[in-house]
Amino acid sequence: MNVLLKELKLNLKSLIIWCLAQCFIIFAGMMKYQGFADSEVDVSALFDSLPKEVLTVLGMESVNIATIPGFYSVFFLYFMLLAAVHAIMYGAIAVSREERDHCADFIYTRPRRRFQIITPKLIGGVINLIVFNAVTFVASVGFIAYYNDGNGMISEVSVTMLALFFLQLFFLAIGSFFGAISPSTKIATSLSTGFVMLTFLFSVIADLVDAADFLGTLSPFNAFNAQDLVINGQLEGLPALILLAATLVFSGLCILSFHFRNLKT
Amino acid sequence: MNVIDINGLTKYYGKHKGIEDVSFSVEEGEIFGFIGPNGAGKSTTIRTLLALIYPTKGSATIFGKDCIKYGHEIRRDIGYLPSEVFYYEHMKVLEVLKYSASFYDNVNPARIKELADIMDLDLNKRIDDLSYGNKKKVGIVQGLLHEPKLIILDEPTSGLDPLMQQKFFDLIRKENELGATVLFSSHILSEVQKLCHRVAIIKDGTIVDIKDIQEMRRNNYKKVMLEFDGIIDISHFNLPGVTRLTLENNVMEFLYKGDINKIIQRLQGVKLANMLIEEPTLEEIFMHYYQKEE
Repeated sequence: MNVLLKELKLNLKSLIIWCLAQCFIIFAGMMKYQGFADSEVDVSALFDSLPKEVLTVLGMESVNIATIPGFYSVFFLYFMLLAAVHAIMYGAIAVSREERDHCADFIYTRPRRRFQIITPKLIGGVINLIVFNAVTFVASVGFIAYYNDGNGMISEVSVTMLALFFLQLFFLAIGSFFGAISPSTKIATSLSTGFVMLTFLFSVIADLVDAADFLGTLSPFNAFNAQDLVINGQLEGLPALILLAATLVFSGLCILSFHFRNLKT
Repeated sequence: MNVIDINGLTKYYGKHKGIEDVSFSVEEGEIFGFIGPNGAGKSTTIRTLLALIYPTKGSATIFGKDCIKYGHEIRRDIGYLPSEVFYYEHMKVLEVLKYSASFYDNVNPARIKELADIMDLDLNKRIDDLSYGNKKKVGIVQGLLHEPKLIILDEPTSGLDPLMQQKFFDLIRKENELGATVLFSSHILSEVQKLCHRVAIIKDGTIVDIKDIQEMRRNNYKKVMLEFDGIIDISHFNLPGVTRLTLENNVMEFLYKGDINKIIQRLQGVKLANMLIEEPTLEEIFMHYYQKEE
């Protein structure tokens, strides 16, 4: 419990900043919607005139962004990216922080097994993810309700946040695994950034090039379809299960690799 | 009973040797010195004992239990001061100490205050505002606050001023009198000499010798200085048992191990201006171990 509380305290400031950034993005995004709505321009026609590739990269392919649900569904891509970076960095840093700060000798010479120190760190990570997710939920419902005549689309946003949470857990586990196998925090965070960029690139390429569809199956960013979530309010079970299983596997690998690690001073 | 038993402990970092075939035992209630220059393998040995790193070969037991397998149980009764002291920088001293205490059962809060008072440590300062010496004091207090049965100190005095060093030695002696066993690693021999009962000497990752401090000084070398009134042939004193023989401006110096009467016999008929026979410092004995293989 002491390690968990210390982790939560250590990460409080960064969590607040992440949450504020997320609120700002949702706020700024919905402001843009208001801009579209007020301009009386045929937004759909405007976007239809853009090349397919551009729309794919922006996550706006085959979505009617002139409607609130359509517009909000585009956010899911940005939520995924932000949440992925937040979760993967959290995992990478939480596991390797003591070695980076040269206090591994302080904490790992206590009467605890290593997993008894790493597990509370990961639980602290899950709590951070839940807070980040809840803030995204509240900000989304609030801003949508404001622009949508008081209808906050609570059930659709709830399903979207649930999907986001599975992705967050997956990226936390991957980050913590990188933290456990990397010789330094710097390498762990570089690997993490690389992983997010690469898998994101996979999902974009898979959407653009039909022949590269298989890349999509490798990318967690393709696990859920924004339209299904936001417009139809449906969450696919299989991708959720696969992400959950991968989360458990990589968390286990993190604990195992960390157990056999030679700790640096 | 032995508190620490190390058997053939070896640690390689890839091809680079950390320690090789290190074996020694530390008896209950003794203050055991562990000396060697920087990079000789002292910290590697200690960090293996604490299961921070895994041995390539060999094993060690503490309180009779394997130090890797039962590390978490053993560490309940170990107080450790690492050579490099870094803590959670943004925390206050008292927070770090309370965090440290939270890993043990029944730490008396009054003990933190008492140790901090002895070491003249301000509990309300932030760690990143502390000097190196003051961080070391935090290390000392966190290592002792749970009244450990085994105290492992890795280069504990660097950064402490002489007055603090003295207070620290008094503190360690007191803990020892109360029953704690101490493993004291250092490259400064005078402090090992002051505090320890026995000493292991480590060089290039290998134990060179293990000695009783008193016996080491009694049975070992005499340091001889002879100042001649006139010219003397250096070969006159080149006897078995004489080492590090030098002659400069009629002043001859050497270390001697053997029957002192043989030296006296050689002095017959020689005119001396001055003569000194003294115990060598541990430093000189120590240098002897380092030079004899070179």
